[in-house]
Amino acid sequence: MIAARGLSSPRMLVLPAAALIVVFVVMPYLNIMVMSLRTPAQGNPYGEGFTLQSYLTILTDAYYYEAVLKTLRLGVVTSITTLALGLPLALHINRAGRRMRGLLIALVLSPLLVGIVVRSYGWTILLGNAGIVNSTLRNLGLIDRPLPLMYNELGIIIGLTHVFLPFMILPILSALQSIDPAVSAAARSLGARPFTVFRRVTLPLALPGIRSGTILVFVLAVSAYVTPALMGGMRIQTATLMTVDILIDQYRWPFGSALALTLSIAAALMIFAFGRMTRTRWTQ
Amino acid sequence: MTQVRIEGLTKRYGSATAVDRLSLQVENGQFVSLLGPSGCGKTTTLKCIAGFEEVTGGRILFDGRDVSREPPEKRDIGMVFQSYALFPHLTVAGNLAFGLEMRRVPPAAIRERVARALDMVQLAPFAERYPKALSGGQQQRVALARALVIEPRILLLDEPLANLDAKLRDEMRLFIRDLQQRVGITTLYVTHDQSEAMTMSDLVVVMFDGRIAQAAAPQEVYDLPASEAVARFVGNANILQGNVRDGVVHLAGGASPVPMPQLPPGPVRLMARPEQISLVQAGVASDMVGRVDHSYFNGSHVDYRISTDAGDIAVHASTAHIFPAGTPVGLRFDPARLWPMEPRA
Ligand SMILES: Nc1ncnc2c1ncn2[C@@H]1O[C@H](COP(=O)(O)OP(=O)(O)OP(=O)(O)O)[C@@H](O)[C@H]1O
Ligand SMILES: [Mg+2]
Repeated sequence: MIAARGLSSPRMLVLPAAALIVVFVVMPYLNIMVMSLRTPAQGNPYGEGFTLQSYLTILTDAYYYEAVLKTLRLGVVTSITTLALGLPLALHINRAGRRMRGLLIALVLSPLLVGIVVRSYGWTILLGNAGIVNSTLRNLGLIDRPLPLMYNELGIIIGLTHVFLPFMILPILSALQSIDPAVSAAARSLGARPFTVFRRVTLPLALPGIRSGTILVFVLAVSAYVTPALMGGMRIQTATLMTVDILIDQYRWPFGSALALTLSIAAALMIFAFGRMTRTRWTQ
Repeated sequence: MTQVRIEGLTKRYGSATAVDRLSLQVENGQFVSLLGPSGCGKTTTLKCIAGFEEVTGGRILFDGRDVSREPPEKRDIGMVFQSYALFPHLTVAGNLAFGLEMRRVPPAAIRERVARALDMVQLAPFAERYPKALSGGQQQRVALARALVIEPRILLLDEPLANLDAKLRDEMRLFIRDLQQRVGITTLYVTHDQSEAMTMSDLVVVMFDGRIAQAAAPQEVYDLPASEAVARFVGNANILQGNVRDGVVHLAGGASPVPMPQLPPGPVRLMARPEQISLVQAGVASDMVGRVDHSYFNGSHVDYRISTDAGDIAVHASTAHIFPAGTPVGLRFDPARLWPMEPRA
C-alpha cells in the first residue's frame, strides 16, 4: 500500500530521468573535477594525492592560457559571422512561400548531411593554395601569391561558420515564424515605415531566437574538434585540440582535465554574461 | 473628421475575387458595420482601406483624396485586429506610445496622451504590464486605446469582440459604441454577428460573396431586407408564397386572403418575422391555421414552430398564453409588416 503510493508520487516519476542525468552528466563531471586535482606521474595517468598545480600552470604559462583565449575568440568570431549570415537568411526564408521555404531549409541543413571528410575535401578544393578561389584570383591577375585561406584561424572560422550556420538560422527562424503578421501590420498602420517595423518590432521579437542561436553556435564552436583539426591543418592549437592531445597521446589525465575544465568554466562565464546582457523582460 | 468613399473596389487573389466592385460612402463620424458570412470579403475590404492589400481595381477616397496607392503608414488609420496584435515586447504604455513616437510627438506630450487614453479605457493601473499578463478583455481595450490615442481619421475594427465571452462581448459592445460617439470618429466595424451590427451601427452593410447585398439603417435591413438571403442572414424569416388579385393576397395554405392594396397582381413572396405573427386559438378568425409542433419557453418569450399547409412557420410570442405542442392554432399576420421579396413585380 505504502510502496504503491510511493511509486506513483511525482517525485518517483522523475527518478529514471534523474538517474540518467547522474550517470551520464554529473558523474563524468565529478570525475573530471577530481581528476584535474590529482598529481601527475610517470608511466601512470596520474599519481598519489591532490594538487592545484595543473591550474596554476594553465593560468601562468602563456602557451596554455593563450590557447584557451584563442579558442574563446574563435567561438566569439564564429558566433558573429554565423549571426551576420544567418539573420538575413532567416529573414529571407521567413518571407518565402511555403514550397520555397522547405527548399531553403533543406539547403541550410545540407552541411550537416555531408560527411566531415567530404566536406573538408570540398573546402580544400575551394580554399587551398591551388584551389578555385586562389586560382581564379590569380588568373584574373588580382594576386601574385595564393591567399592563405586554409590551415590558419581564418580557415577554421570559415569551416565552423559553414557547419554551424543551421544552428543559428533555425532558432531565429522559429522566433520569426511565431510573430503574428498582424503585429507588423499594426505597426505599419500606426505610422512605421517598413524599416522601422524591422527595427522596432521584428528584430526585438526575434531576439530570443538570436540569443539561443548565438549561445548554441558559441558552445559548438568552442568545443569543436574535427573541423579545427582539418581546417587548421593541425597548425593551430585550440584548447580543445590540445586537451585531446594531452589526454590521449601524452597520457596526462590530471592536466588534460584541468585544461578542459578551464575552457568550460570560461565559456560558461561568457555565456552567463551574454545571457544577462540580452535578457528580455517580456518573455518572462 | 473624415468621409470615406469607396468606388468600385475590387480585390482578386489569383483568379478568386474576394471583393467585387464594392461601392460605399461612409459619412463623417458615422458608425458603419460590414456584416456577412465567413469568407464574404469583410476583412479584405478593411485591409484595402487600411492599405495592407493592394487594390486590384477601384478607388478609396478619404475626404475626396484618393489614397488607394498610399502605404498604410501614410493613411492615418487606427486599426483594431481580431487577434489584437499587441506588441508583445512592449508594455501597455509602450504599445500606446508607439504610434505617437512614429509621429514624433514630444515625450512629455506622449506621456500625457497615453495616460489619458488609458483612463479612457479604464486601464491606468496596468500601464507597466506586458500584454501577456492581461486578460482577453483587457488586451482588447489596450488595442482599442492604441488605435485611438493617435487620433486617427478613421477607426477600423475587425471582429474585435470575437474572442470574448458572451457577457464581456455585450459590455464591450456598448463601451465601443459609447466611446465612438464621444470621440466622434468615422468607424468601420467588421462582424458576422447580426445583433452586434444592429445594436451598434448607424448603417449596416450586408455583404455576400464580395458584393454589397444591402446598405441601410439597422431597422430597414431588418424590416425591409433587399433579398431573401439578407432577410435570413439578419434574423429569422418566414417566407410565405402567395398570389395577388385585386389588391388581395391569397397565401398558399392560407385560410383567408390578406388585403395588400399596394401590390401589383401576380405571384408574390412575403417575409414575416417570427415576432410579427400572433397566435390565436383554433376556431377564432385567423389568416392561416396550423398545429404547434414545438414550443420552447425562453423566459421572456416563447419560440414556436407551427406546421401549416404552407410548411413550418416560426413564431415568437409572449408568454401570456402558452400553446402546448400538438394544439391546433390560428396564425394572424399584420399586413403592414408583411414585406414582399424580390421579384417585387
Ligand atoms: N491572402 C489571400 N490569398 C488568397 N485568397 C485570400 C487571401 N485572403 C483572403 N482570401 C480569400 O478571399 C475571400 C474573402 O476573405 P476575407 O478574409 O475577406 O473574408 P471575411 O469576410 O473576413 O471572412 P471571416 O468572417 O471568416 O473573417 C475568402 O474566400 C478568402 O479565402
Ligand atoms: Mg475576416
